[in-house]
Amino acid sequence: MASVKRRDFSRGMLGLGALFLGALTLAPATASAEAAPKKGGTLIYATLSGPGTLDPHVSSSAVELEVIHNVFEGLVALDNQNATRPMLATKATMSADAKTYTFELRRGVKFHNGDELTSADVKASLERYQRVSPNAKNLADVERYETPDPYTVVLHLKAPNVVLLDVLKSPIFPFMILPASQQDKPARGIDVIGTGPFSLGEWVKDSHLVIKRFDGYVPDTSAPGRDGYAGRKTAYLDAVRYRFIPEATTRIAALQTGEVQLASSIPTELRDRIEQRKELAVREVFPVGGTYVIVNSQYGLTANVLMRQAIGAAIDITEITDATGGVNKANPWMSFPNTPYYLGESAPTPWYDVKSPAKAKELLKKAGYKNEKIIIETNSNYQWMRTTMLVVAEQLKRAGMNVDVKVVDWTTNAAHMQQGTGEWNLSTTLFGPDHILGPQQWRPMIYAFPSIKGNDALDAAYQAFFAAADLEKRRAAWLKIQQQVLGDAYMIKIADSGRLSGYARKLMGQTDYPGILQLWDVWLDQAG
Amino acid sequence: MARLTLMKLLQAVPVILIVSVLAFLLMSLLPGDPAVVIAGDQASPEAIEQVRRNLGLDRPFLEQLGIWFLHLLQGQFGSSLMLNQTVLSAMGERLPVTLSLAGLSIAITLPIGIFVGSIAAYYRQTWVDSLIMGVALLGVSIPGFWIAILSVIVFSVILGWLPSSGYVPIDQSAIEWLRAMILPAIMLSLFQIGFLARMTRSAMLDVLSQDFIRTARSKGLSEWTTVGKHAFRNALILVITTMGILLSTALGGSVVIEQVFALPGVGRLVVQGILARDYPLVQGVMLIYGFVFVAINLAVDLLYTVADPRVRYD
Repeated sequence: MASVKRRDFSRGMLGLGALFLGALTLAPATASAEAAPKKGGTLIYATLSGPGTLDPHVSSSAVELEVIHNVFEGLVALDNQNATRPMLATKATMSADAKTYTFELRRGVKFHNGDELTSADVKASLERYQRVSPNAKNLADVERYETPDPYTVVLHLKAPNVVLLDVLKSPIFPFMILPASQQDKPARGIDVIGTGPFSLGEWVKDSHLVIKRFDGYVPDTSAPGRDGYAGRKTAYLDAVRYRFIPEATTRIAALQTGEVQLASSIPTELRDRIEQRKELAVREVFPVGGTYVIVNSQYGLTANVLMRQAIGAAIDITEITDATGGVNKANPWMSFPNTPYYLGESAPTPWYDVKSPAKAKELLKKAGYKNEKIIIETNSNYQWMRTTMLVVAEQLKRAGMNVDVKVVDWTTNAAHMQQGTGEWNLSTTLFGPDHILGPQQWRPMIYAFPSIKGNDALDAAYQAFFAAADLEKRRAAWLKIQQQVLGDAYMIKIADSGRLSGYARKLMGQTDYPGILQLWDVWLDQAG
Repeated sequence: MARLTLMKLLQAVPVILIVSVLAFLLMSLLPGDPAVVIAGDQASPEAIEQVRRNLGLDRPFLEQLGIWFLHLLQGQFGSSLMLNQTVLSAMGERLPVTLSLAGLSIAITLPIGIFVGSIAAYYRQTWVDSLIMGVALLGVSIPGFWIAILSVIVFSVILGWLPSSGYVPIDQSAIEWLRAMILPAIMLSLFQIGFLARMTRSAMLDVLSQDFIRTARSKGLSEWTTVGKHAFRNALILVITTMGILLSTALGGSVVIEQVFALPGVGRLVVQGILARDYPLVQGVMLIYGFVFVAINLAVDLLYTVADPRVRYD
């Protein structure tokens, strides 16, 4: 029986992160260099659009999650170094056969309605998750839940699962705990009641949403301070008002006039407008995700691995990132540096940033290419995606390929990639941020986007991954997976990328942790 | 009048029927899948299939069309997939914003458009006419999106006179409502003023060359009475026709203006609905807008009979 307690959670049985954190560059917070935090004031935050729902069990979009993570909490959460840390649990224990997980709950935690959190709420929430969440298959192994006392929950699994805690800390489709009274509520139909440091106030769809400091919040006092999505959280702001402003120019104007103090998604070409004012600044949130060229392995020419590799060999990463702008850093791996599954400096594929038309031509010859059309599909919604594919098209032409670029809307583009439909050979997307959690989160995307079928080596590597109790063995399996995915050029990695946000300098205490917006431990220097 | 109204209402029935079928067909013919949007960009095929089953999108097309009509006959415009509320309540929440934007914009457009159009006609083929028509041409030609963004930079960022975006309900503060709405309304009016001025000028030129105007002048009536009363009353019929078009373009133009100024109106609702492939929402809004446009046309037809006693439909 191995157990993971709060203090040593990240060094425990799963030990994710602990072995690889020697060279961490992530600072815990910027607060230390700033003045003492002050309570009070309302932060006004300009974001692209409003949430469709605040039901955490069905939420995957950033605009929803940046409210949800401030209102709800789960049993465990990602810490500052992307390892697992308890949030509503104090201790998680896995049995030797990896078929039983026991969670001990923090005592005295209150929901926004004043009720105390108990094991019945946890059981009801996870059962609801299994019923309504698009991500429910991650709990498919659960045979039954047991609640021997109000502060203990036991998950009995049908089959061994050594990565369950990694799954439970996912920030996307988060496994948040709701009051048991919400168990039978339909997807998107809950009352918004969590245990987080903020509770929901007014919400006017398409206009604004307000969250208010929850004065009954019970912080995790075992932690010295904030720690990723976990740790000791302190809400200083009286309230946060999210204003939904779709136009980037208008968001920046609102920041310039002082109507808002924080604005998301600042285009690189407009950052000067913010930086030229001394009271404003731009923050780089990095990394947010990884950008990839997706190669359809079930359609036409690109079913041939040599064709896919030829395309990979033709691509010049710097040309692409120079053209798209934004915050980008080259990285041949599918995991971010400073995360447990990052495997080092060398590349898992010989095709990363080769930029060799000659090599591509050689592979094309081997593939028997006869100037047939290669169809690139991109979309009209995301300029960086369009630019990426236009540059890729030119690079492929340089290597002697006959390329046709087709522009559709993002919804269609995404559906084609996710479902393997449509007529296209190449497209592009950004994956993030959940895949920092590891290969288990990557799996559905790896198989779906490039439509991988019948790759026995990949299947075997994934089987080995899920069967290995030892992290080193799982890392070895992850190497093999990446060698298949990138080496056989089902996906071609471009870079790790970040985003820019603009803020008023009087907004203090923003974390350097590049996750979804966290509004605890931040304060306004001149409140009001 | 009652017979005329009844006749017009009956004529509207097939129009509404065609609009409702088109609304359903257009959204269904669009590529893309609401289940993908709801399940998230990175959801697995199983997750998407689960969402599709939950929403009833896996049913045959004709069955979905049948359900849509059945619900319409029961007065149900459907429920939004994204918002977890009915189309009527979603529209009800946002309609005050769009109506106040369109109303304020028309209130700005009418006096200015008619006045400058009349002045241009009166001073036809002089520099005054050229200047007014030149500016009017700019009004109808400049892209609304561009001028709206420029106005935010000038009036909010540089001059600091008005808020850059957002909406304040009129019952909360009439002054703040006006401060929030005046810039969007003016931007929405630019096209309309240009359009109305050109139409008014054309109508007035036509009337000013008529014999009865020469008669009015020759019997010694003042220019004000001649132009303001005799000429204008006769030009009014064209202005009434134009008003119907103005109202329609105000509702249509609000889509862009609401987007730039972050106003939570129906236009923005439709844009989000289309992007999210929220079929019931967009279909419902299209249908309700269909009703509104039919009502506007009906009102214009009836106003003709008031403005011009010669107009009879029977």
